[in-house]
Amino acid sequence: MAAQLESSHDTVPIIELRGLVKTYKTGAGEFPALRGIDLAVMPGEFVVVVGKSGAGKTTLVNMITGTDRPSAGVVRVAGADVHAMHEDQLALWRGRTLGVIYQNFQLMPTLSLLNNVMLPMDFCGLWRRRESPLRALELLRAVELEDHAFKLPSTISGGQQQRVAIARALANDPPILVADEPTGRLDSVTAETIFQIFLRLVESGKTIVMVTHDENLARRVPRRIRLADGRIVSDSRDQRGGG
Amino acid sequence: MNRVLLRPRWYKVLADLWGNKVRSLLVIASIAVGLFAVGIITTLDATLRRDMRLGYAAVNPANIQMVIPNFSDRLIEGLRGVKGVAEVEGVRTFNLRARNRDGEWVTITMNAIPNPREMKINRLMVLEGIWPPLKRQLVVDRYKLDELQSNLGEEIEIELPSGTIRNLKLVGVVQDQTIGSSGAGGGYFLAPAQGYISMDTLEWLEEPQRYNLLYVTVTGDSSDVRYIREVADRVRREVEKSGYVILGTSVRASDDHPNSSYTGAMSSVLYVLSILVVFLSGFLIFNTFQALLTQQVQQIGIMKIIGGRSRQVIGIYLALIFVFGVLAFLVALPLANRASLALLEFLANQMNIALLPYRPVLRATLLMLAIALVVPQLAGFVPVLQGVRITIQEATSGIRKENVTIGKGWLERQLMRLRGVPRPLLVSLRNTFRRKGRLMLTLVTLSLGGSIFIATFNVRASVSDYISRVGKYFRADMNITFSQPYRVEKVRQDLEALPEIERVEGWWGARGEILDEQGVVIDTAYILAPPAGTPLVSPILLEGRWIEPGDTNAITISERFSDIFPGIKPGDTLKLRINGEEKTWVVVGRFQLVGSSGGYVAYTSGEYLAKQTGMINRTSSFRAVASQHGMTLAEQKALAIQLDRYLRSRGYDVQEITAGLSLEENTTTGLNILTTFLLIMALLTALVGSIGLMGTMSLNVMERTREIGVLRAVGASDGIVIRLVMVEGLLIGLMSWGLSVLLSFPISTLLADAIFVALFRASWRVVFTPLGLFIWLGVVLLLAAVASLLPARNAARLTIREVLAYE
Repeated sequence: MAAQLESSHDTVPIIELRGLVKTYKTGAGEFPALRGIDLAVMPGEFVVVVGKSGAGKTTLVNMITGTDRPSAGVVRVAGADVHAMHEDQLALWRGRTLGVIYQNFQLMPTLSLLNNVMLPMDFCGLWRRRESPLRALELLRAVELEDHAFKLPSTISGGQQQRVAIARALANDPPILVADEPTGRLDSVTAETIFQIFLRLVESGKTIVMVTHDENLARRVPRRIRLADGRIVSDSRDQRGGG
Repeated sequence: MNRVLLRPRWYKVLADLWGNKVRSLLVIASIAVGLFAVGIITTLDATLRRDMRLGYAAVNPANIQMVIPNFSDRLIEGLRGVKGVAEVEGVRTFNLRARNRDGEWVTITMNAIPNPREMKINRLMVLEGIWPPLKRQLVVDRYKLDELQSNLGEEIEIELPSGTIRNLKLVGVVQDQTIGSSGAGGGYFLAPAQGYISMDTLEWLEEPQRYNLLYVTVTGDSSDVRYIREVADRVRREVEKSGYVILGTSVRASDDHPNSSYTGAMSSVLYVLSILVVFLSGFLIFNTFQALLTQQVQQIGIMKIIGGRSRQVIGIYLALIFVFGVLAFLVALPLANRASLALLEFLANQMNIALLPYRPVLRATLLMLAIALVVPQLAGFVPVLQGVRITIQEATSGIRKENVTIGKGWLERQLMRLRGVPRPLLVSLRNTFRRKGRLMLTLVTLSLGGSIFIATFNVRASVSDYISRVGKYFRADMNITFSQPYRVEKVRQDLEALPEIERVEGWWGARGEILDEQGVVIDTAYILAPPAGTPLVSPILLEGRWIEPGDTNAITISERFSDIFPGIKPGDTLKLRINGEEKTWVVVGRFQLVGSSGGYVAYTSGEYLAKQTGMINRTSSFRAVASQHGMTLAEQKALAIQLDRYLRSRGYDVQEITAGLSLEENTTTGLNILTTFLLIMALLTALVGSIGLMGTMSLNVMERTREIGVLRAVGASDGIVIRLVMVEGLLIGLMSWGLSVLLSFPISTLLADAIFVALFRASWRVVFTPLGLFIWLGVVLLLAAVASLLPARNAARLTIREVLAYE
């Protein structure tokens, strides 16, 4: 899948949002979370989304991952019309196309780290049964957690859990990673480790969309999108890439 | 990579099972308890019926019994050639009195058996001691051994009609399953103690070496009563041709144990209970899985994020449910077998059944397996589907749409308005009603369990009520039987001369062979004939009227007659042969006695029967009422001993004096077994309900662990947290109790009808007793408190950080 996408590199956006509107109905009335978002992310780009609480960052990420439905507009990711897919199509598509990383890691608490990384492979069937443990170990090695492969998530630190979450996100070798506040619960040293992993992944050709509150981190990302009250108020790029 | 044997999703199944052992145990217990109940009920039903049928058939019971005075082997030889006759045997049976250690005289029916080593019909099972008895030795049946108060090797004092005392050595104890098999008697429970002797002891007991009871088995289908009657008619003709008079005939199928009506009644109860218990366990399992899935919502969300499709996620949980079902089955099967065996032994002992070697009932095992595999899947499917349908956002954020709408319902608004209620109680109240669907499920489960529990107490009370009502057939304090008839007036004068005696009546009685249209004997009825208008019988009339002064050939019949004459009603006629003489009687009423367990009983006018049997003003049976009213059984027995001495001193040949209450007691023993059985069923239901309550409440609290953390984070102490959870548990317990009380009314009626219709083919009023109600209230409150307290304490012990991270 990644190879197919590389052929259209630089010509077609890998993530395309057009006229995206999301309104929530709450006890206090209607709340517009996104008010007409237009955005295109090219393959291999590293994009950071910043903004204050309630600006619509997480809603935007949920639209891209298909975990929430838009009230209006188009969400096209890796050539698929996300807004038009039903739940099961979305699950398989998501497992193969996107790696999602959350602030609170969202690991399966009762599975070992190895099984956590193997689970997406089990669901999506892209790897043979014999290959998947080897690949999972390789991914754990890449995030320097190979030695902890058979431990439960509760026995390792938050930073280590987030690295496992990244390994899991990469299990099916998706072209896109979406990270919602991935460093939000980590200290600055650990956050830096995670950021370095992201940079390496972008170098290897992955597209990353990351939501963060951390302005210092955001400044080091090549493309920065600022949201306020559900609207993109700035979209800045610089030629210098990270680090 | 040797450690990676299974796919990760199956690891998740195992990890969920093993990771939270308390929760897994609760789930398994919830399923197992339902299976256990169904297993016991099905095993009892199948084994009781099977063993009763096979065990009874194994003794080769007589299909035909005829009371024929003084016949010999010649008649037996002659009957062997009758078409349809397989085996013929004769025994001599007669009643004597035995004195027990308390000095009480106890009636014992002696059965003298010609070839005890080679008994072909009505075979006995030797339980203790030796068989056969030699000359002057006695073997007794185990059932009323207690009345005789004798041990093996001891001598029993027997009084002969002449007043001579003989001592027989007790050498063995047997089980005789045919006691009560003759329709003329009062059935098994009314039968006196049974003794077995050899023919050569007869002379010593001043009895002739002649038989008076004929046993016949038939060739061909011995379960076909109509066919047996045909053979009986041929035998009758042959007997009469030989010049003998038949005083009574009864027929019985080889697989029809004398107490089969009780197992019929129990089966009816078990049938109703098994349906209710399957429902109950279904709700229990549904409820349990709903709670389980609620805890798993976040993980479902994660799986969907990383590519898990609905059917894959559903598959994981159905596999988990499957494992729970299998484990519950493995736990419940041996437990149900053990409990069934214990219950069967109790019931077999009470109902004179010889149990076959115990083996698990295949039907019960298969039913348990089917329920273990299917019901949890059915019950779990909806919660699993609901869990899978939750959006990822709801799953991962923990904020559910239903939670957003909390506080908008009518009930919540009313609760918000409550004033003057302590705040912690208010919080508990609101929490209780927060998840109405969940609350409903919990309430339905608990209420169903509670209502069955309460209902069994009500049915028990109804049966007891019936028992006390039956007592009104036995209002006399003393039942006196002489060995020969005496003038009624003389006996009355002698007895009423005693200050202890207020009133004396002479009663007549006879055996009457019940004939069909063609004159074929169907069975034998026991006809009781008190003086018309006696105050000593207060019948339960089903239709028609009771015997009135001036009645001649009028008869009232027990409900048992409907077994042989369906639809028989007042105005119909009935042909009876008494002492060889056939006569037509007019049925004037039908009454309810002890149903199909009590034999064919009829009442007629004493004066009329006396005339018919040539016993005008003379009889051997009397009823006496004591001056002291409301005597206890012990007082009646003491008076019986006193009367016995008095009458003997005046030269009367007393055969037996029995206390009125002991007759009532014996008549209703069978019903008492039913009430004990119902109590056991009530305990079983309580067990199902209790484990259900424990499981539901505990899971409810576990589900709220995160919320408890929030409460603690905002300053609630451990004590407040525990109190909040416990108050909520108690509220749910109380509500379920209220509903149980309401639901117990229809369930009591359903269960009581099942029993009464099976026994009496008629309904009886349902008595509602507060006993079950209050016991259940105690049980429910205690369990609610314990079930809430344990997980609440665990939750309170966790640190806030742990709790908030809880999944």
